[in-house]
Amino acid sequence: MISWPNLVSQLFNGLALGALLALISSGLTIIYGTLGVLNLAHGAMFMIGGYAGFVTYQYTESFILAVIAGSLFVMLLGVVMERVIIRHFYHRPHEDQLLVTFGLGICFVELVRLLFSSQSQIVPPPALFQGITNLGFMFYPTYRLAVVGIVAVALGALFIILYRTRLGMIVRAGIEDSVMVDSLGINVYRVFMVVFGIGAMAAGFAGIVNAPVVSLTPGIGDDILVQTFVVVVIGGVGSFPGAILGGLIAGEIISVTSMFNPGYAYVMLFAAMTLVLVVRPHGLLGVQGRE
Amino acid sequence: MLKQRPFLIETLTAIGLIVAPFVLPHLGFAPNTVNRILVWGLFGLGFDILFGFTGLLSFGQSAFYGTGGFVAAYLLTRAGFSNVLGALIIGMIAAAATGYLIGLIALRRTGIYFAMITVAIAEVFFFVEFNPLSDFTGGENGLPGVPTPSFNLGFTSIHFTNGWSLYQFIALCYFIGVIIALRIVRSPVGAIFSAIRDNPLRATAVGHNIHGYKLTAFVIAAAYAGFAGGLLGVLQAFMPPDAFTFDTSGQLVMQTAIGGRGTLFGPLVGATVWLFLQDFLQSALGLGAAWKLVLGVVFVLLVCFLRGGIIGGFVDLYHLVSGKRAGKAAETEETEVETPQQAPPAPLQAKEVAHPVYSGPILKATGLTKRYGGLVANSDIDFSVDQGELRGIIGPNGAGKSTFFKMLTCEVPPTSGQIMFEGRDITGLRVTDVCQLGLTKSYQVNQLFTGLTVRQNLTIAALAELRGKFRLDLFRSLSGVKGLTEQVEHTLALVNLTRRADTPVSELAYGEKRRLEIGLALATSPRLLLLDEPLAGMSPRERVETVKLLKSIARGRTMIIIDHDMDSLFELVERVTVLQEGRVLVSGTPEEIKNNAAVQEAYLGGVHGEIAA
Amino acid sequence: MSLIEVNGLNSYYGDSHILFDVAMHVEQHEVVALLGRNGAGKSTTLKSLMGVVTPRSGSVKFDGIDIAGRRSHKIAQAGMQLVHEERRIFGSLSVEENILLAGITAPKRWPLGRIYEMFPRLKERRNNRGTELSGGEQQMLAIARALVRDPKIVLLDEPFEGLAPVIVHDLVKACRELAAAGQTIVLVEQNLAATLALATRIYIINNGHIVHEGPAQELKAQPELLQRYLGV
Repeated sequence: MISWPNLVSQLFNGLALGALLALISSGLTIIYGTLGVLNLAHGAMFMIGGYAGFVTYQYTESFILAVIAGSLFVMLLGVVMERVIIRHFYHRPHEDQLLVTFGLGICFVELVRLLFSSQSQIVPPPALFQGITNLGFMFYPTYRLAVVGIVAVALGALFIILYRTRLGMIVRAGIEDSVMVDSLGINVYRVFMVVFGIGAMAAGFAGIVNAPVVSLTPGIGDDILVQTFVVVVIGGVGSFPGAILGGLIAGEIISVTSMFNPGYAYVMLFAAMTLVLVVRPHGLLGVQGRE
Repeated sequence: MLKQRPFLIETLTAIGLIVAPFVLPHLGFAPNTVNRILVWGLFGLGFDILFGFTGLLSFGQSAFYGTGGFVAAYLLTRAGFSNVLGALIIGMIAAAATGYLIGLIALRRTGIYFAMITVAIAEVFFFVEFNPLSDFTGGENGLPGVPTPSFNLGFTSIHFTNGWSLYQFIALCYFIGVIIALRIVRSPVGAIFSAIRDNPLRATAVGHNIHGYKLTAFVIAAAYAGFAGGLLGVLQAFMPPDAFTFDTSGQLVMQTAIGGRGTLFGPLVGATVWLFLQDFLQSALGLGAAWKLVLGVVFVLLVCFLRGGIIGGFVDLYHLVSGKRAGKAAETEETEVETPQQAPPAPLQAKEVAHPVYSGPILKATGLTKRYGGLVANSDIDFSVDQGELRGIIGPNGAGKSTFFKMLTCEVPPTSGQIMFEGRDITGLRVTDVCQLGLTKSYQVNQLFTGLTVRQNLTIAALAELRGKFRLDLFRSLSGVKGLTEQVEHTLALVNLTRRADTPVSELAYGEKRRLEIGLALATSPRLLLLDEPLAGMSPRERVETVKLLKSIARGRTMIIIDHDMDSLFELVERVTVLQEGRVLVSGTPEEIKNNAAVQEAYLGGVHGEIAA
Repeated sequence: MSLIEVNGLNSYYGDSHILFDVAMHVEQHEVVALLGRNGAGKSTTLKSLMGVVTPRSGSVKFDGIDIAGRRSHKIAQAGMQLVHEERRIFGSLSVEENILLAGITAPKRWPLGRIYEMFPRLKERRNNRGTELSGGEQQMLAIARALVRDPKIVLLDEPFEGLAPVIVHDLVKACRELAAAGQTIVLVEQNLAATLALATRIYIINNGHIVHEGPAQELKAQPELLQRYLGV
């Protein structure tokens, strides 16, 4: 039965999940918007962020260092991936781009499975946020509340980078017309590399921040990837505001539906995606152009 | 495209399948492995038609694999159904029906979006199977107890148990699957699949309903997946829930790419490599869980460096060795010693018109206007062309010529106004329908089917004319299409490409490509042919030859041409319409236009008055 | 040494041969115009100079350095700017962001004040998104963007097309001031009046071949040339 605290609790969960999805999807969407490549390895990068953070935690016992290490490692991974492989695929058909990022994703997952086995790994939440918080009308795990805050800060940082810095200006211009950016004396391939790194970092950051909430396994990226796609289709490919809106919508749909029947969460998500496809094919906040 | 020698592939496949149980054990293959390879191969036959031939990369095939498998398994284990083959077929039908419904949603978008949607589909199906429908599917336990097939033939009964016994049944199913797949790709529908992969824009423009064909490919792939899923249950005597996982879809994609897409046998080869390496790497090299990583790396390397997969690699090697690479045309235009052949009389297939012979203007546009937001590209244009006329359209920059042209071909709907083609209102119709009615365009930038030969290109266009927008003749062979060969040969002759008929487009010189471009439009037997800058990017000599060609194909046809090469254009056309700033300025013969002061003014922008006499 | 020296330039659009052995030169402080009909190859010539189109053969020397086949950003950094025919301003960025973006990698740049002095209209609209500008304002912005980098040479591709006569008049005036201040300009246009008002030397291109070169003054005395290659 639906009880009031239960509903609010699920709404909070939805917010936490939604914010997380918004962050990961933002990364995917700016990569696609700028480079035109759909990164099917994005889920794997989320997972790697978690593991990189886990390893750091094993050595340093510091959650903060784990977060920093996780994010930086994945950013580096993204940069290397773009320079060594993705760059050669800009002029190849979309299908080939999909295949190569998909293959890389598989390789990442299998590599992690080899190094860490399929057993789940635990990263405990930082001492500051352990335990339960009394919100008056209900109790809620403290760390999960913290996640909302942390991710919100990260999204805010991403917003500031995109809309208040020179780099962000270049990225937004590049999403619109990368040839013109090159014409204005800015090496657009370097921009691509940076964007890929930032997008990957968003996924990696989300991966380590989320690690205390779920246990880490090599396969956790798969679900995330699917949810990210749904978010991007709903919000509109290439749109940062769309990723946020889509993320929140998806997060709430999953959470609220889980309250009634967890199995139907995906069905509802898919139904929402279908609705958007029929009514607004380019997504709620999408811009025509990229296909 | 596949070799054309009749039944060669079918025969080789049959021989291979018959010989396999005697040869493969010596190579280290257990019968169970071989059976699984065949099941993946069957699964992949449909997928290759969807991806390799039609160009639609779907990561969601596991949805149909699982659907077919679980419907069949449920019937056999829980519903008291005893006919195994019957259950498999019902499972296949269920999968195909599901494929149809999902296809209606997924095919609304293309490329990236389509891939994303198929990923989502795979996950949704998995979760639905796992949880809400677990009463039917056994949830995480799957459905055990799936029987193997047996047939009661009256005088005796055949039981296919497992191992090599079951192999006979599975191999037979695979063989039938191959025969059907070969028929499909050799049919007109199969040819159109390839056209959609190469250039969907042009496939639509020559008159095909590509959405219908894409949906067909999607359903075919789902059907194959469904049957293969059922076989999996029979093979394992148990229907596993992981048939529905995204991993399954992913494995299919990887196997197909590794083996070679667009070859039908790529998935079989890929599955062989996959399963063999899985065993080999784990047991012989003791690599344990790393086998999948090795496969992943192999896959990435193949995608980077060997796009055609293993089969593609062998084909390239074969070509290299047999020296077939010598055929690339020279950069300079080949000398055309003969004058262009006398144009044969009007096309053999006269298009049927719904109403009696019409004698008015073939094309009549009234009040045609196009607004983009606040910008008016074309304003209130009245335009009329008589049957058999050769009309040119010119105008300085900003005249709105290309927008006007796009409205005539119905690529862009007018904001207001009306277009009548042979007395029939075509305003607001789509390009496909208009082409079917007899109005076609050739493009300024070549829009060819780049992976096909010249003959195959023209075949695609002719098929639209002869078969209409959409027809599901999946099992007809191309030679069974009445009038196709004549139409194609006729068009080849018209554009002087008969000697190059079997050359791939990638090996043609620019001038030849341009002729093929016009040929594609001609092969649809248009009564009104619109040509968008046919002389663009041509050397002086090519211009002269193209003008000759256009004159020869003008017989029995009406043509409207836009071009900037005034000299060539004026030599070609009978009347010229001049557009300026979105409106019609004047119409007249080339002489009249040359001497018209207003036209000179439009082009020379007011300077005329400044220049001393 | 010429600022720009082009020899034997052949450019293609895909397979389509657009420029046939084009040769031209531009000296410092000149205003050179390239006239021709649509499809003659004017735009392709400018794009080949800027590296937006990669020439298949031939040489392009900019200030003595070979730039044919280099990437656009390198050519921009060397001091060339192209104002595209479609303008290509960034609609999702504001006017001011468009201008700032252009100057990021420029060693020497025009201060905002100087830009706004030249185009007061842009100052009024400095915070508007690119998509909110009128055609004339977009053109001004496109030109302003090119000037921010204090380029050695500016290539203008049909800057006056589709604009109201009043705006054309203002733009021509602005270009005159630029030329008077010593800016080297290559102008591609179909608006003859504007061209003859600005250019010192003129090339005519027809079907991808250069068919005439000479001082602008001379051209006014040869109406048959104009009619032949530009008229009907």
